Amino acid sequence: MMSTYYAGLLADVGILLLGALSVYIILATGQLSLGNAGFMGIGAYLTSYLTVTMGVPLTLALVIAAAASGAIGVIIGFPALRLRGIYLAMATLGFGEMVRSFFLNFDAMGGAGGFHGMRHVSLGYIWTWAAAILLLVAILEHSQIWLELRAVRDDETAAALVGLDTTTIKVGAFGFAAAVAAIAGGLFAHHHVYIEPGNFSFERSIDFVLAVILGGSTVGAGALVGALLLVMLPEHLRFLADWRFAVFGGLLIAMLLVRRQGILDRSLFRFFEFRRSA
Amino acid sequence: MLEIRNLHVSYGAISAVRGVDLDIAVGEIVALVGANGAGKTTVARAIAGLLPYQGEIRYAGRLLKPNSAERNLRLGVALVPEGRGILSSMTVGENLLMGLYTRIDRDQAAADLADVQSRFPILAERRDTMASLLSGGEQQMLAIARALLSKPKLLLLDEPSLGLAPKMTDFVFEMVLRLRDEGLTVLLVEQKARQALKIAGRAYLMETGRVLTSGPARELLEDHVLANAFLGAGASKA
Repeated sequence: MMSTYYAGLLADVGILLLGALSVYIILATGQLSLGNAGFMGIGAYLTSYLTVTMGVPLTLALVIAAAASGAIGVIIGFPALRLRGIYLAMATLGFGEMVRSFFLNFDAMGGAGGFHGMRHVSLGYIWTWAAAILLLVAILEHSQIWLELRAVRDDETAAALVGLDTTTIKVGAFGFAAAVAAIAGGLFAHHHVYIEPGNFSFERSIDFVLAVILGGSTVGAGALVGALLLVMLPEHLRFLADWRFAVFGGLLIAMLLVRRQGILDRSLFRFFEFRRSA
Repeated sequence: MLEIRNLHVSYGAISAVRGVDLDIAVGEIVALVGANGAGKTTVARAIAGLLPYQGEIRYAGRLLKPNSAERNLRLGVALVPEGRGILSSMTVGENLLMGLYTRIDRDQAAADLADVQSRFPILAERRDTMASLLSGGEQQMLAIARALLSKPKLLLLDEPSLGLAPKMTDFVFEMVLRLRDEGLTVLLVEQKARQALKIAGRAYLMETGRVLTSGPARELLEDHVLANAFLGAGASKA
């Protein structure tokens, strides 16, 4: 029987995995979003409102929140994706902070005092969602759609010259990522049974990006490895007491120096495919 | 097939193309030559629908719109851009697959893929190789092959010989002639003006955003004043 402590950690891994996947999906088109915690916040508050105030079943509430957040992602995506690189990163960061600030002042959902009343969900429920979305991303990675995303990332002009509608692809990826982040938020709210605006700050967005960079930004499974590392490693360094985060940071830097591309990468998967076919 | 009237393209305050008129008839190779910065690439990118512009570009009687690369490709205008535009994180096979993106005739598309691979056997051999690992010549072949898979009627080739060894340049130019013989119309944008003029039927010479002169390619090649001024020494002896 798993201890409550480990069950809690694994739930955090599942939620972080979803957040990291939301960054990975946008990154597949060559864009970096630093505002996905904003979409997570929208998902958390909307799901909680639906389940607590309206009595909507959680699964349906998650689907509604994902759809709403996805739509907001598309609306935000159109103006935001006129920007590129660092400018897009800054614009999405601004969006994330705007959402946090909105909930801080939105008294109907508790404002700075937060919101509670959600029913706790099981680890199995969280991981059913996390595994299903990871599987969906893995399937998409072998589809024509993912090839289109990669084409946009490689060279937007060349992608347009083969007939791709690059704006639709980028905005679509943004919308899908926003939906995934919203599900992470809904699960977070029903795992911790209490949410406050500070849960969806810039640091949360950075955690998502860090999980992708560490685990590997060219394969979806990298987000899983990154999420496991980010949650589990500090826990296993507890014997270092106050020094554990300093050592954790040092380990991350060392890891990135050894493998800049992250722990997993596409070529690693190709190598195994080659070995299998040989 | 293609009529350009009074084309103007600006990059901010800089006017790159100023009042260009250009015509291309079905089945001909037209060379667009001139020094670096003359505006050749900008004209090709405007035709492909990659840029905002003023003026009129008509293709097969239809008015093309600025910033509409996807629509122009579906109409039959394909550009092989300067620098080749290879999708570098993809394999050769995946790049070719992207060339088929706009095709809805699946059976014919599969036959065309086989045809392109027989034209460029090296691409079939290196199907699983990352495109970024190909040599410059192989990348150029891949770029042309990918463009051909969209089944264009007008192929715009922007500096296809850039960075290629002389032997590979000859191969590319021979390929252009073969494509013309098969009925394809080609606009060849080249800095290696002499070689381009040798295979083209007509040519336009550009300088600082304007068409300086145009006419049969052989006449431009044999014009001593033009040849010495714009096409490099010894051009007229070719």
